[in-house]
Amino acid sequence: MSGKDFFLNRYENLGWHFQEPNVRQAIRINKTTAKGKHLVKRLEGLGIQLEKVPFLEQGYWVKSSKISVGATAEYLLGLYSIQEAAAQIPATLFTGLKGKKVLDAAAAPGGKTVQLADLMENSGVIIALDVDKQRLTALANHLERCHVSNTVVYQFDARQASQLNLKFDRVLLDVPCSGNFASDKDWFKHRTMQDVERNAKVQRGILAEAVKCLADDGEIVYSTCSLEPEEDELNMDWAVKNLNLQIQEVNCHGAKGLTNIFGHKLDVSVERCRRIWPDETQGFFVCKLKRRMKST
Amino acid sequence: MSALISFASQFGAKIMLNPEFIVENAQRYYFINPALRKLARRDFYYAGLYLGKVKKGVFFPSFNLLNMLVATAANKVILDRKTAWLYICGRDVFRTGILKMTGSKRKGDATLVLNEFGECLGFGRIMGQIDESGKNDIIIKNVSDVGDFLRRER
Repeated sequence: MSGKDFFLNRYENLGWHFQEPNVRQAIRINKTTAKGKHLVKRLEGLGIQLEKVPFLEQGYWVKSSKISVGATAEYLLGLYSIQEAAAQIPATLFTGLKGKKVLDAAAAPGGKTVQLADLMENSGVIIALDVDKQRLTALANHLERCHVSNTVVYQFDARQASQLNLKFDRVLLDVPCSGNFASDKDWFKHRTMQDVERNAKVQRGILAEAVKCLADDGEIVYSTCSLEPEEDELNMDWAVKNLNLQIQEVNCHGAKGLTNIFGHKLDVSVERCRRIWPDETQGFFVCKLKRRMKST
Repeated sequence: MSALISFASQFGAKIMLNPEFIVENAQRYYFINPALRKLARRDFYYAGLYLGKVKKGVFFPSFNLLNMLVATAANKVILDRKTAWLYICGRDVFRTGILKMTGSKRKGDATLVLNEFGECLGFGRIMGQIDESGKNDIIIKNVSDVGDFLRRER
């Protein structure tokens, strides 16, 4: 159960016909560090032409560039980050982040952690976890470059997050996943259904643990860059049925979540998720969850 | 804390942080604000604002710290656009690339290096008198620059 034909056939059965994606490079302006610096104009002066991403407040496509956008003084000074457009969506789905206690459960290399800190204007607290020491180094560099000051990082498995003995107002679960072919040209060669099922199981473990750490009125945003429903809609259906969670309406880019997966009918609320098939962005999936309120 | 104060004094700058909130962890210094301090366990990997590290008895500042020193430092040099670019590529500074120099001009002293927007690119050592040097003489020896973020990833 692997190979390009196998996976493309699955996507056809989910209602998407393969077309070669043209994933565009994107940046995100760090409004905290770039405030008053007329960054777009400065970058244009360096020969970097930008175009606003219509569905993002701080996101820009790189239309053309005479130089590497990852080697400008402005980048090195933390005025912007290079962050794929779809990957900029999850952090924006939380409400009222300022002053909150936030868990970033699988944080490295830190693009979304820095984005959260920016949205929080460095107020409140972010606890950022990752198990991989090498990736933590990248996360630390990212935090230093963008002058983030509200984050504590631990080398810690998200599946043990409740051991921190903290309750979080907001939990970002940008979980480890199987990825997708639009951001990995060899994806079809090395991915199998066994990988997908293994990852889906790890993701359910992280979700279950996150619920233990969630404040009563807290919000979870779950995201993957996988197109496989086992890691996306099926996991959300499982969360609704097993973790006393409710899927929230979101107003963001993407198609409705699928509620019929290969003939298997899911909870109707799963359509509130957003599925992004690869095109100008990579493939992506995002969902916002809250605890189910007790009926009175 | 003494390592930080002593480092800042080289530039004629002061550390404006409450020492109560500066925490040392594995010879690295962090400024951890009260909200964070309440939650941070001792086994953190990184916390708050990273200020720098001590390695073999030498203090290496973070770019957060250098940035903080800009407000109070006396020793500063402002570079033109092209020289600023060369500086973050690790190059030293010739006289012709300097737009403005304030504070000490004494050989061996430390100075913050800024771009035309007043943003801190790093720090260097003064190598020669700007008024008495030829245009190909090195005035500022690059000690540290933000291009280090790219070099760290190699």
